[in-house]
Amino acid sequence: MKKTKIIAGIFWAFLGLIVFIILFPGLNNFSVSVSKLPFMKINPRYTGGEKAYHLVAEKCTLDIRRPVFNGFLKESNSGFVQIDWRGDLPALINDSIDYNGDGEKDFFIQINRKNLKTDLKSFNPKVKDVVISTPTSYGWAVRVGLLKE
Amino acid sequence: MDNILKTTGMKKSLGKSLLYTLPMFLITFMFLTGGKPNFSDTASGIALLTVFILVNVLFFFMHFTGKTDKYRAVLFIVFALSLSYTLINNMLEVRKAMYFSQADILECKIPFCHLVIPMMILPAAFTKSIIFPGSIIGGFANISSMVVLWLVATLVLGRGFCSWGCFYGGWDDGFSRIRKRPVIKKINELWKWMPYAVLIMVILSAALTLMPTYCSWICPFKAVTEFEQVTSVESATKAGIFLSLFGGLVIVLPVMTKKRTQCSFLCPLGAINSLSNKITPFTVKIDKSACNECFKCVGVCPLYALSKEDIRSGKVSIFCSKCGKCMDACPQNAIHYGIKGVPSGTLKNFSRNLFLFVSYLFMAVFSAGSIINTFHGLLKFIF
Repeated sequence: MKKTKIIAGIFWAFLGLIVFIILFPGLNNFSVSVSKLPFMKINPRYTGGEKAYHLVAEKCTLDIRRPVFNGFLKESNSGFVQIDWRGDLPALINDSIDYNGDGEKDFFIQINRKNLKTDLKSFNPKVKDVVISTPTSYGWAVRVGLLKE
Repeated sequence: MDNILKTTGMKKSLGKSLLYTLPMFLITFMFLTGGKPNFSDTASGIALLTVFILVNVLFFFMHFTGKTDKYRAVLFIVFALSLSYTLINNMLEVRKAMYFSQADILECKIPFCHLVIPMMILPAAFTKSIIFPGSIIGGFANISSMVVLWLVATLVLGRGFCSWGCFYGGWDDGFSRIRKRPVIKKINELWKWMPYAVLIMVILSAALTLMPTYCSWICPFKAVTEFEQVTSVESATKAGIFLSLFGGLVIVLPVMTKKRTQCSFLCPLGAINSLSNKITPFTVKIDKSACNECFKCVGVCPLYALSKEDIRSGKVSIFCSKCGKCMDACPQNAIHYGIKGVPSGTLKNFSRNLFLFVSYLFMAVFSAGSIINTFHGLLKFIF
């Protein structure tokens, strides 16, 4: 029994050595495998959610994402919708947004890119306020706070 | 008698030490150069060669002198400094600042580090997503690679990760070595359970808020890596907490106590790693027949992992990070690296050689990239 324990321990330790030797050369492959696990995707609170609508203007595009309400065990009562402007943006952005696709405009947003000022006019009681409005590498992003419908 | 190493009891032999270093030499050569060293750029060539020599010379001396911690600490501290340099340098190149903006969060461009891992677990299980604005795969410090590296290192080394792989540990390890004697000699050892409290707190708070709360509010190493842009009272408060904890737990207390106080009293990942000490093949053993209970090991342990009771019972606690400081201090060679299943006092040199090879290989390869990058940066700055 004692001998078996010793042999098992040493085998286990050598296995550790082998694992380390193959770890670094195989790191890319291991990482790709791990990245395919079902939970290995960034939470929508950070990504802004999936794209719901894509609108094309003359020089720029507008992406309206799906509202994000996700919480730990159940959906949260408050969330946000993210809107991304891409391309050659005007100094003053004016857009009316229908985030839920019901054909009614839910809010009007005006962004002054020079003084970084963002104004929101809500037409829907579920639309709260501007949570984030920031220049990005691709243009501009805004998150507007929402209450769950 | 001079030829006998006090710390391991084995005969000092240049040939044996060279032979022991040879596989490390070859493996690190392959990993660092990919088998084809590129000396087309002088600064890169010098940096690569310097790091390659440094890594292997330190490993050689570990075997030749029988001292572990003395040489481990050199690479460990250099790793911590160079990783911070690499992160800051990357940040300055990409963003022209050490802080990250809201846009960086929205675009999921925040470099990932292993300290986030405890907070990922519950949200990953319940929401099937990662609550961190980083890159899953590809790019600088991506989530998948860091998870693989940490997981494998922890399964093999246990809390040894904290002394052989963690790129933050070198900060308080370094500061704990500044003074010859401690100013504060006694700290209530109950504090060493604090990381478990922090761990539970951050796991729950992260799950409830879907935010990596430790990174957002507590992590002292934000002070030497990257932090949120100060634009509000909240972000200013966070910056204040980061700086205070870095100053207190990473600089002042380690200097005063000669202990790694951040690792001992705060780090939630250290708490998880210490639990993994139960399942790793390598351990630290006390040969009771050789121990004369001088308790020098208790005094030098940087993580409060050894107590007099542990020594008397012949078992080290789960807090042990296998740094080797106790072994370097032991005049009787009574405390040594061991392999689970192998009785204490037997196969001492075999166990030590195997553990050092495994742990040092991990640290050498993991750290080499950032150390080379730092040397390269320094060379470019000087010349």
